[in-house]
Amino acid sequence: MKHIVYISRAVHPLSDRELERLLQQCRRDNVLHGITGILFYSHGNIAQLFEGEPAIADTLFNRIAVDGRHSHVQKLIDKPITERSFADWSMAFHPIEPQGFAALQGFLLPHHVPPAPESLSIADALLVDLVRLAVFGADPSKPAH
Amino acid sequence: MPTLPFPQLLRQLPAGVATLEGPELRFGFVNEAMYSLVGADAAGQRIADHPGGLPQALLGVLAQVYATGQPYVAKACLCTPAPDAADCRYYDLALEPYRDEQERVAGLLLLAIDVSEQEATRQQAHELSLVTRRLDARLRVLTETAPLITYTLDAQGRCRYASPQWYRFTGQPPAADLTAIWPLLIHPDDRLRVLYEAAAARRSGTGWNYEYRLRRYDGQYRWMLSRALPEVHLPDPPVYWHGALTEVHDQRELADALRRGEAEVRFLADSIPELIWTASAEGFIDYYNHYTTDYSGLNKEDLGPTGWVGLLHPSEQAEGARRWIACVASGEPYEGEYRMRRHDGIYRWHIIRARQLADGPVLRWFGTCSDVHDQYLLRQVLQTQYDELARAHHDLDTFVYAASHDLRQPALNLRGLFDELRRTATFADPDQAQLLAMVDGALTQFDTTLHDLAVTVQTQRAQQDPAEVLDVGLILEEVVLGLQPQVLARQARLDIDVAAAPGLVYGRANLRSVVHNLVSNALKFSHPDRPPHIVLRSYLTPDGEPALEVRDNGLGMTLTDARNPVFQLFVRQHTHIEGTGVGLYLVQRIVRSHGGHVEVASTLGEGTTFTIFWTRPA
Repeated sequence: MKHIVYISRAVHPLSDRELERLLQQCRRDNVLHGITGILFYSHGNIAQLFEGEPAIADTLFNRIAVDGRHSHVQKLIDKPITERSFADWSMAFHPIEPQGFAALQGFLLPHHVPPAPESLSIADALLVDLVRLAVFGADPSKPAH
Repeated sequence: MPTLPFPQLLRQLPAGVATLEGPELRFGFVNEAMYSLVGADAAGQRIADHPGGLPQALLGVLAQVYATGQPYVAKACLCTPAPDAADCRYYDLALEPYRDEQERVAGLLLLAIDVSEQEATRQQAHELSLVTRRLDARLRVLTETAPLITYTLDAQGRCRYASPQWYRFTGQPPAADLTAIWPLLIHPDDRLRVLYEAAAARRSGTGWNYEYRLRRYDGQYRWMLSRALPEVHLPDPPVYWHGALTEVHDQRELADALRRGEAEVRFLADSIPELIWTASAEGFIDYYNHYTTDYSGLNKEDLGPTGWVGLLHPSEQAEGARRWIACVASGEPYEGEYRMRRHDGIYRWHIIRARQLADGPVLRWFGTCSDVHDQYLLRQVLQTQYDELARAHHDLDTFVYAASHDLRQPALNLRGLFDELRRTATFADPDQAQLLAMVDGALTQFDTTLHDLAVTVQTQRAQQDPAEVLDVGLILEEVVLGLQPQVLARQARLDIDVAAAPGLVYGRANLRSVVHNLVSNALKFSHPDRPPHIVLRSYLTPDGEPALEVRDNGLGMTLTDARNPVFQLFVRQHTHIEGTGVGLYLVQRIVRSHGGHVEVASTLGEGTTFTIFWTRPA
């Protein structure tokens, strides 16, 4: 088991439709491959933590790294873990039209993202908090920063 | 041989065929293809009356062709098949005379072949060539004016084209053999690499992107960026590579300087025996110096972008992380004292500091962790010792107070017994009377000393006296009133002037104690030759600090340091005047403990001036 954290920039801002499609596609694929974690998106800023079996996680990251929808992919951490910290895979972002999103499986408003799980080491929890700050800014309840 | 159905064939021919019979040139035979040009009803009519879509040029030559018997051919004539038809079509038209048995011209055969398609294609080709010529001109202008050299190489590595900038840059004549000269102008250190890389790219059919030094017209080698891509027409392998050569000398020098600067800073940071690190604007650490890895026993991968927090003492990690996030969010400097784990598991106290450098749009954090373990321990030892001393001091005060209090009762008893003894007993010897007087004096002295000791301790207790806004004038009056017997006995004159600073924030008891001691001293140490004159003045210093001046015309005293006088308990200057030497010591303790200080100016035999600066330390 390992986890990987990266940040990147979307090539163009993602629309509500694109985000919804991404959420549904990723949830389907990730359940299939036993990938859990969380993705943050705001104003073209992307950050993701995901965990899974090493071979699958590496394959996933290699695919993410060459995905044409984003650039400046910067891997922050890639190391073995003893247990999962996330029960499933979810996405947090500010939809332009929030109604309808609340019912979506795996969707979170940025200010509803729970604090970093206890099972993460303090260094990894700090990393998650920093990437969340980098993506959503100091006040995650406000969409703009 | 079967007879071919010629009329049938003629009718179905895709080319238009018609006969114009006789001098009047009446339409005779008209096949279907010709209908579209002259109409289905042309047969039997004179062509002059029924020209259909035939062009004027043809109609004009009909008579001449008929008369001379010379055939006529017109290529790609524009014809309008019907007067109202929108589309014009092009025909190749031919007039061929035919003759009767006497070899006289009997009529004309008109042939019309629709060449609209060919004509449209021809016109398109013409327009295309115009566009091509314009594009070509544009490309030429662009390649020759852009500030970069463009070139074309073929698959064999021969240089097929170099834009004029190449000649201007290198100073080579226009007739120079590019393929031969070019490699010679490349810096010898770069030449093999460039030739190898270019050859490899040509072999694999890919482009290239590399930098090398090229000799300029003045002999100077300049760094150039060479980029090229093959011209690909699948499935054939590429034949030509087109590329551009840009001078990047200045950028490269700058980048080299930056690299050198960065390397120097890193070297410096690595040489310092402190933990030094840098972080991105988002707060991810991207550099730790050597000492950090030496100290922690972890390598840079173990530490990672946030691993430092794991070095803190477990009880301080959460607070350290929270503070770092707050600083990254706000840009405020980071500062804190934390225990950090050394490679051997021992935690040592460090001051962690980080500041953000905003150099243009790029923000970076620079941080240090300084080992303050020894200072920290020393401070703790000092604090412990200070606490012990304060406790001991307090115990001593309590003891002195208790002792002085407990001793007063026996002293009073002694005084009572002594007075009783003196009243009842008679002493004949005059020496004994003197002895009695001495015992009396000693008893009085004993009692006064005990009283003053109790007051000293009480005053120190009263230092927690709450500060309030005091009316200085009122308190001075009260104190003077309390000293009225001494004032009257010595016929002293007192002047009080508080106009410049009528108010003061201070403890009431403390102010009274200070004034009481100073005024009673001034009365006590008055000059025997003149009545005392004491001036009390409350005022503000030029800095706005409140001060009190107490000036007398008494005995004066000897001073070693007027700005920092030392008043010691029980030390007295005028031993011929009774007293315990407690007063000035008390004054100084009160004033200093509230952050102020006392200054003295004095001339022996003329007088003394005390100045109390209530809030400003010496």
